[in-house]
Amino acid sequence: MRVLTRRRLAGVLGVLALLLGLALVFGLGVGPSGLAPGDVLRALFGHEGGPAADIVLRVRLPRVALAALVGASLSVAGVLFQALLRNALADPYVLGVSGGAALGGILVLGFGSALGLGYGAVPPAAFAGAVITTLLLFLVSGFQGRLSPTTLLLTGVVFNAFASAAIVFVASLAGLTEGASIFLWLIGNLSAARADVAGFVAAFLVLGLACALPLARRLDLLALGEESALQLGVDVERVRRVLLLATSLLVGAAVSVAGLVGFVGLIVPHLLRLVLGPDHRLLLPASALGGASFLVLCDTLARSLLPGRELPVGAITALAGGPLFLWLLRREQARRLAA
Amino acid sequence: MRRPAAPSRRLALAATLLLGLAARRAVAVPPARVVSLNPSLTAMVLALGARDRLVGVDDFSARQEPEVASLPRVGGLYNPSLEAVVALRPDLVLLVPSAEQRDFRERLAALGIRVLALDPLRFDEVLAALERVGEVLGRADAARARAGAERRALELARELTAGLPRPRVVLVLQRDPLYVAGGGSFIDEMIEAAGGRNLGAAFAEPYPRVAEEWLIAAAPERILDSSSEPGAARAFWSRWPSLPALTQHGVVVLPAGLVTLPGPWLDRALAALVRAIHGVELALPADDAPAPRAAPPPKAAP
Amino acid sequence: MTAPLAFEGVEARLGERRVLRGVDLALAPGEVLGVLGANGAGKTTLLRVASRVLRPSAGRVIVGGQPIERIGRRALARALAVVPQESFVPFAFRVGEVVLMGRAPHLGLLGFESPSDVTRACDAMERVGIAALADRPLSGLSGGERQLVMLARALAQDPEVLLLDEPTAFLDLRHRVEVLELVRAVTREGRSALVVSHDLALVARFCDRLALLAEGRILAIGRPAEVLTPERLRQAFGIEADVLAAPDGSPIVLPRASAPAAPTGADR
Repeated sequence: MRVLTRRRLAGVLGVLALLLGLALVFGLGVGPSGLAPGDVLRALFGHEGGPAADIVLRVRLPRVALAALVGASLSVAGVLFQALLRNALADPYVLGVSGGAALGGILVLGFGSALGLGYGAVPPAAFAGAVITTLLLFLVSGFQGRLSPTTLLLTGVVFNAFASAAIVFVASLAGLTEGASIFLWLIGNLSAARADVAGFVAAFLVLGLACALPLARRLDLLALGEESALQLGVDVERVRRVLLLATSLLVGAAVSVAGLVGFVGLIVPHLLRLVLGPDHRLLLPASALGGASFLVLCDTLARSLLPGRELPVGAITALAGGPLFLWLLRREQARRLAA
Repeated sequence: MRRPAAPSRRLALAATLLLGLAARRAVAVPPARVVSLNPSLTAMVLALGARDRLVGVDDFSARQEPEVASLPRVGGLYNPSLEAVVALRPDLVLLVPSAEQRDFRERLAALGIRVLALDPLRFDEVLAALERVGEVLGRADAARARAGAERRALELARELTAGLPRPRVVLVLQRDPLYVAGGGSFIDEMIEAAGGRNLGAAFAEPYPRVAEEWLIAAAPERILDSSSEPGAARAFWSRWPSLPALTQHGVVVLPAGLVTLPGPWLDRALAALVRAIHGVELALPADDAPAPRAAPPPKAAP
Repeated sequence: MTAPLAFEGVEARLGERRVLRGVDLALAPGEVLGVLGANGAGKTTLLRVASRVLRPSAGRVIVGGQPIERIGRRALARALAVVPQESFVPFAFRVGEVVLMGRAPHLGLLGFESPSDVTRACDAMERVGIAALADRPLSGLSGGERQLVMLARALAQDPEVLLLDEPTAFLDLRHRVEVLELVRAVTREGRSALVVSHDLALVARFCDRLALLAEGRILAIGRPAEVLTPERLRQAFGIEADVLAAPDGSPIVLPRASAPAAPTGADR
């Protein structure tokens, strides 16, 4: 019988941490300027300046760090959403928090220059959008003091539709260069990577994990159904509230910095669940590590496929994620039919 | 400023043919009610002294040129309003056939409105476009003079910088995401004439989006920053101390419309480029063009 | 001796409708009490009120001598375990994992099961007879097997009182008997059980007492032979039936075919 022990937990997480380490090495060593491994090592451990040092330490390092943090945040958020909505096909953008973040960011991207706001104002504005949307979600869905998954889902659909409409409105008024920026932001793009930005995401990742990890076992019980979970001693309402809060922080921080990077929050939890099983005590921390590796890999590919050029990371996750998601969807359908 | 992904040469040729056809329907009297849908074309009209004939402009022209700020506006570069244009009862509409505006042009033509579509990418094409506009507006002499001045400036720049060492130059159109002037543009030709080596020529498109890594590895000695937010330029480039441009005082801010607009003042653009790249003054011959307007500080991205 | 579970004047509403009206019921220790009634009579609501999923609009529920509001969540989960009717689980949990979840109310703060927890879960699966299914995913099982898993989970929970909602609904005859015998055996160890069921024959045989519910009230409560009379059956279900006695005295209910024009209970 499969039982989760502390030892298994440590073992699996150790392997995943190793994989993340490899991904980080890959990310630091590969890029569109074709630096030789010797140059990369010297840049990392030597103390000289030079273009290699600038590239490795000031372009790739923050970028790789940000990819890891955003990947971790989105994957953990994906697991939490799937637990909250009791649906393995939920992704972190389904409740509309990302729509609110996108709207906030794009308002600044589109109109910011007219107001004297630079590009640096985008993440705070996007995060503010995420926070406002979360508050609205609580207000609207928690109508009779109960957060039901169905209400949440429907509210999210409405929010997303509204945000999309507003974004299209802004984009159509925007100028030339703002249009390009908006497009890149919508598809997900990590080129804004800087040390302080990475720190911002890291803080919220830690906060989100701190809220979510203690709930891990209760998330398993939630899968049995609301009544069964209640009957097993779970404070379902409170768990839902904490989940909503944690996911909003995670999604808000990630999206405000990287835009709407798709599929990470859907694919990584799913793949890990297939391999490791659905126990959330393992799945949650594993998703953080797995998501980090996944996005670092995708971003490195995005940066390196074309010489001298860069693709937005969202393009790669969609290309990889789309077919993968379809395959998972079919498996899920087959499983439900058998049930 | 032109959109980064410019249409192909073939399209420009087709445009020229089409406007040749359109020209056959032209009446001998030069048009008196002109609408311009692109800042470079607006600049041409103004340079030729035909301001009084402009009855409407696009939003960007209004922002770039204080002279036309009071004119009725008809929309942006992507989405000009057909109704607004038609309401002005123009007898000539000037536009650059981007993807959106191609469709627009057909609809204007279907309404019987004369359209002049120009898409100059290379330096010669800019001069040809200027002369075409002059021809259509009945100001052919002024146009020839101005174009001649621009051509002369290119030659003078070449002569002046002939023996000088050629620093590695990159002209940045937007910092984040990073767009530079590539090999397909008139800017590339001007940089070469001004005695610089355009690193962006490694890319064939006129306005490619490039990776920051590439720029750092290319080690430019001059960074000509033509993006919006000129005040933040120094801080932005200082993030990479290895850039030779930082140590050689090679980060030069150029006002957004000065070098990047394929218009009638490329002689001034060349002078600015020569000054930025070599620190010497290009002596331009005096001409009798209307008094130059000071380039307005760019408020919005072009 | 205190009743492990008691209802005092309990009323419950679903929206505007009063589903339970003034229910007084006390479960005796070691007793198997069957709850019968027509659809909509309030049987499942009774279970939901007992497990505090639903709060009564009037009256009190007493668990182990304490008013239910004063009992903590996990304490209540250690006292009562529910075997539900439906069980859709959206993720690929295995049988063993689901049964192990029954130990959740007993776990410490870090939430990892100890070897004794695992032993109890295995014992529960043995008792229910599903030890061979331990590594099968829940979704691959039949409805009946899933019901057995839920029963094992409730047993692993080690409660004072078992609340079973139609536990034999999807089971074949042999498993029905086995489940009810298991419930009997478990109560012999000192626990009590409340069984909601439509299976009159089996419930009549295996329960110590029956409670007959109609329109939210207890129509009759007592030993099966006392409760299952033709008169009561007519009142509760709107059917005409003959009740015979089996060799051991338990009542056998044989419904008569209803006259074509007579509606079933709608004119009550």
